[in-house]
Amino acid sequence: MNQPAAVSKPLDTQVQRKAGRWKKHVSGYLFLLPAAIIFILFLWVPITKGIIYSFYTIDFVKGNEFVGLDNYKTIFNDPDVWIGVKNTLYYMFLCLIIGFWVPILFAIAISELRRFQGFVRVAAYLPNVIPAVVLYGLWRWFYDPVGPINGVLTQAGSDQIAFLTNKSWSMISLVIMETWQQFGSGMLIYLAAVLSIPRDWYEAAEIDGAGIFRRIWHITLPSIRGLVLLLFLLQLIATTQGFQSQLALLDGGPNKATLTYSLLIVKYAFTRLDYGVASALGVLMFLVLGGLALLQFKLNNKGAAKS
Amino acid sequence: MKSVDRGILSSYDYRKKTNKLGFLVVIAVIVAMVGSMLYPVLTALFNGLKANTEVNSFPPRFLPSEWHFDNYEAGWNFMNLPVFLKNTLMIFGGNMIMTVVVLGLAAFSLSKLNVPYQRAIYFFFMITLFIPPSTYIIPNFLNLKDLGLLNTYAAFWLPASASAFYLLLLKNFIDGIHHEMFEAARIDGASDWKCFSLIAVPLSIPIFSTLAIFVFSTAWNDWFWPSLVMHSDSKYPLATAVYKYVISAQRLNLNIRFAILTMVMLPPILVFLTFQKFIMRGLQLGGVKG
Repeated sequence: MNQPAAVSKPLDTQVQRKAGRWKKHVSGYLFLLPAAIIFILFLWVPITKGIIYSFYTIDFVKGNEFVGLDNYKTIFNDPDVWIGVKNTLYYMFLCLIIGFWVPILFAIAISELRRFQGFVRVAAYLPNVIPAVVLYGLWRWFYDPVGPINGVLTQAGSDQIAFLTNKSWSMISLVIMETWQQFGSGMLIYLAAVLSIPRDWYEAAEIDGAGIFRRIWHITLPSIRGLVLLLFLLQLIATTQGFQSQLALLDGGPNKATLTYSLLIVKYAFTRLDYGVASALGVLMFLVLGGLALLQFKLNNKGAAKS
Repeated sequence: MKSVDRGILSSYDYRKKTNKLGFLVVIAVIVAMVGSMLYPVLTALFNGLKANTEVNSFPPRFLPSEWHFDNYEAGWNFMNLPVFLKNTLMIFGGNMIMTVVVLGLAAFSLSKLNVPYQRAIYFFFMITLFIPPSTYIIPNFLNLKDLGLLNTYAAFWLPASASAFYLLLLKNFIDGIHHEMFEAARIDGASDWKCFSLIAVPLSIPIFSTLAIFVFSTAWNDWFWPSLVMHSDSKYPLATAVYKYVISAQRLNLNIRFAILTMVMLPPILVFLTFQKFIMRGLQLGGVKG
């Protein structure tokens, strides 16, 4: 009498367990459902629509019309696009030579501070929390012909510089402003890496007779090489898309000197109301940036495997 | 450990005169840097307290000769700051709720519930990290228009949780919570929902507060996207309103302008100084994204 019960009991629990597992998965999938819907609706749909729209003329009143490759033809015949590409490359270049090395240098210098290191960190990061619109308001005044920078220049006896209205200065001025704002976050990331280098290595190098600069060159810099490369790529990806400060401070001027590619996308869409061409510009940009993003992904994975 | 006491320089290096001098130069550069970081913030503050003629005098002076605290009152009355502030906070609040609920659930499921095809689902979320946002900014706008969300707060709230980066941070954090905790709860008869809401969420408060700072700074800073999505004055968040009415304004006295800018700048600075530790840690987490 007891035996069948003993046999059927594990069977029962097995069935139960199966049902339980099924139930468990139901709630697991239910938990994922809202996120999946939102990702599809607000990321995947726009991305696909962008590709589709690049073959259409978008008209809110008359409806969309298929035009084949016309949008792309417009792009390749538009001299502004080449100006935009050139300006974007110039902007990226300036960001590298003016902005990229600053946080590395300061991270190494600040890591040597024994006192007030916390204060310096906070001060360096402070501009990061200033809202972008305030930043624009502030720096427009700094760069003003009667602003403080030109005030110092006049007192020093040199000519004034029209930071924003001079064609050859405008992009440089923007990059200096952005470097001022953003270098703190990069610096803190580097600083953490620099501080995590074992101190014994320096000790050993010093005993072997390495000078200060050789210690930095052969120990500090190689130790943060991966991070430098990663932030380099991230900066490239970020700067290819830069347009907000160009738009807010100069609206792409003077004489299109700060008209970047992304700004052109925005202008095509919201001043020329040519959404089709704007979408096509986006698709082209995606094709170029996809390569960079993949590279970053590989680097990231390497970094993850290491740590 | 004695070796911890040194940096790149050792105490021996400090004894050499050239090194000492070099180090002093480095310190001077750092001090200059700190000064240049603090100067603009203080300038904004003091310019907001000057008389208008003094702000426009050339060369500019740092400290005001007369203190005009009424500028702040004038700035406050210049535009309807409380309404814009309310809008910004509405956007922040909604975004935060969406992030906690939608991404929290998804991260919990991906981290602890072992659903079949988990890796594929995770990949589906993560691949969006590698599509630069400005490439689909226009279709994104058209998409919101098609959905009829323009000029509504839902246009911010719903897409707020479409962030693979936040999902990544959340999942990484929840991965670190011990399985035993949930197993014990399950033995006591807790459902998955209870495991999530009563165990995972309270334990994830550190990461949620880090995310809150990210979400807050986005809501407070973003001026461009809201200026596209919202059409009416009464719905602009603070940053957009400041851009439209202060930065682009022609006839606004400089001292009032600086007073408004200072008022907009102070809350994030205060938040930053209060939650410094969280922010610095968040930065390490966010370092990968930059």
